[in-house]
Amino acid sequence: MKKEVLMTIPSYFREPMNILSFRFGKGEKSCAIVGALRGDEIQQLYVCARLVSFLRDVEKDNGLQPGKTVTVIPTAIGASMNTGTRLWAPENMDLNRRFPGDPSGSTTERIANALLEKVRSYQYGIQLTSFYQPGSFIPHVRMMNTGHQNPDLGLEFGLPYVYVREPRTADQSTLNYNWQLAGTQAYSLYAGKTTEIDENAADQTLRAIIRFLNSRGIIRSEFTPGQYSSIITNHDLTTVSASSAGLFRRVKLAGAHVRKGEQLAFIINPLDGSIREVLKTPVTGMLFFVQDGPFITEHNVVFNILAAKK
Amino acid sequence: MSITKEVSIIASAALPICEQWAIRRCRLQSDSAGPRLCITSGIHGNELIGQRIIFMISHCIQTHPEYFSGTLDLYPMLNPLGLDLNERMVPSHTWLDMNRAFPGQKDGTPLETMCFQILNDLSGADLVLDIHASTTEKNELYEVRMNHARHDDLIPKAASLCPDIIWVYPDRPSFDSSLTGALSRLGTDAFILEADERSMNPDGISKRIFTGILTKMHEMGMWSDSGITLTVVEDIPVIYSGKNIERITCENPGIFIPESRIGSVINMGDSLGYIISALEGIILENVLSPCNGLVFTQRSYSAVYPGTLLARIRKEAV
Repeated sequence: MKKEVLMTIPSYFREPMNILSFRFGKGEKSCAIVGALRGDEIQQLYVCARLVSFLRDVEKDNGLQPGKTVTVIPTAIGASMNTGTRLWAPENMDLNRRFPGDPSGSTTERIANALLEKVRSYQYGIQLTSFYQPGSFIPHVRMMNTGHQNPDLGLEFGLPYVYVREPRTADQSTLNYNWQLAGTQAYSLYAGKTTEIDENAADQTLRAIIRFLNSRGIIRSEFTPGQYSSIITNHDLTTVSASSAGLFRRVKLAGAHVRKGEQLAFIINPLDGSIREVLKTPVTGMLFFVQDGPFITEHNVVFNILAAKK
Repeated sequence: MSITKEVSIIASAALPICEQWAIRRCRLQSDSAGPRLCITSGIHGNELIGQRIIFMISHCIQTHPEYFSGTLDLYPMLNPLGLDLNERMVPSHTWLDMNRAFPGQKDGTPLETMCFQILNDLSGADLVLDIHASTTEKNELYEVRMNHARHDDLIPKAASLCPDIIWVYPDRPSFDSSLTGALSRLGTDAFILEADERSMNPDGISKRIFTGILTKMHEMGMWSDSGITLTVVEDIPVIYSGKNIERITCENPGIFIPESRIGSVINMGDSLGYIISALEGIILENVLSPCNGLVFTQRSYSAVYPGTLLARIRKEAV
C-alpha cells in the first residue's frame, strides 16, 4: 500500500487539510473508489476505511493481480468532517456540485479539479454517495445516462438492481457525471445511512465492491456470490409523493411487495394525532425507496415503487 | 388611470406543523395595457437588498399610478425559510441552493416542485429581473448578468438598467440551473441584477438600481414619467467569462486586508491588498494586480484560503 497526499489545503489557524489516497498494486489504473465529498458522509468514510483495511490484507496475500492498481480516497473534505458541516464552510459550497473544477478557481473548484484529475484515468470508478433526503433503498448501483454509461458492467456488483437515471441540469456538476464524461466507467453506491454508521449496509456495500474487483480481474480474494441483478430506469419506477405534511408513520419498508391500492404509510397531524393522509400504492410492485424521516413536507417523494411486470 | 393590487401565493408546500412554505407575489396591474415585468429577489435567503428596491418600486407606482402601464409582478422573497436563518441555502435535509435547482420538476421534491411553480409563473413575461446581493465578503459594482446563448440580443436590452458593467456568463451547468438560466432556455428575457449591499452605501445602491429599473420600464412603455429616470449610456463595459476577466485568487491562508479599489481603474502591479499572519506578525502575500483594468469585485476584510477570490478585474484591451 502506498499512502499519497493528493492535495493539501493549508489553513490560517487550523492544521492543513491533506486529501489522502491509498494505492494498492502497480500498473494500469484499474479502479478508483471515492468516499466522503460532504462533511456528514460518515458511513461513506467508514466503508472506505474498511476497504483500505481489506485491500491491505489482500496485498499482503498477493491478491492484487499483476499490472492492476486500485486507489481509495476515503474523504476529500476532512476539515468539514471535523467540524460537522456538510458543505465546505468557508465558501458554503457543496463540493459535489463543483465538478469538473478549476485548478486556478475557488478552493472547492481546486479540490474538485485535483480529485477528478487523480481519478479520471482509471478504467472503473466507484463513488460512495449520500441521498438528498432521508430514506432507505433496495441495494443498487446507479449511474446517470450520459451516453457513456455501461450498465451491463454494473451487474457485476451483484446487487439486485442497476439503476440508470436521467440526469437533471444540476447533476452535470457532480463527480459521477463528469467522471463518466472523462471516460471512466463510473458507478454510485448508496451505502445505507449517511450521518451514522450502519454496519449491515456497510458490509453489503463492501461485499459488492469486493465482488466487482474480483469479477473485473483486479484482485483475487474470497468473496460471496452476488444476487441476480436487473437493469432498471426512471421509467420503471412509480413515485408516490405526499400531498399533505405532518408526522410520518410507515406501514411498509423498503423491499416489501405491495399490491395496487395497499396502504403504505400515514401522515398524521403532529398536534392532534388525526390522520391527514393515507398513502397507497397506485401499482403492484416492490418498494424501491422509502422515506424514513420523522417529518414529511408536502410534495416529498415518499416512495418509489418498482412496478411488477406482467 | 388606476391600478389594482393583488397579493397571491404562487407556489407552496405544506410544512409539518401548521405552516405553509409559500412564495408570495404582489401584482400591480394598470388599467392601461402594457408589457409584463417581473422582479424577483431573496432566492438566497441572506440577501436583502431586493426588499428595499422592490419596496421603492412598488411604493413609487402606488403613489403615481398615472405614470404606470402594464403588469408588474413582484416576488420579494423566494427563500423565506432561509431569510429566517439569515442563510443562503434552503433549509432542508441537505441545505440546497435554490438557484441551482431550476427548472425543477412538477412532481419532484418540495424544492423542485417550488422551483417548477415559480418558473411556470414567471415564464412568458416580457422581462424578469432577479436581484442578488453578492456574498457576504465580496464587494461588487452594480452588474447586470446574462447567459451567453442569447447575449447579442440581450446586451442592448440591458443598457437601460444603467449598470456599471454587463457580464456575459458562460453556458455551463451552474448557470443553466439558475433561475435566470432556466428562463433564458424557455425564451424569456431574464437578467441577474447583482449589487453589494454591505460595504457600499445601501441607500445609494438601492436608489441607483431603483432608478435603473424605472428607466428600463420607461423604455418598455410601462412608466411615462421621465423626471426620475436616468440617461442611458450606450457604451457600458461588457465582460465575458473566460475572455476579458482577470480573477485574482490568493495562494496563502490568512487574513486579507484590502486596499480600497472597487470601481477604480488600476494598473498592473498596483496593490489590491495584503494577506497577513497575526501569529507571526508578517505579510504573507502582497496581492498585486496582474493587469490594467477596472476592479469590479473585491473581497472585504476576511479570512481566506488558497483559491479564495480576492478581486475580479475587467482587463483593458492591449
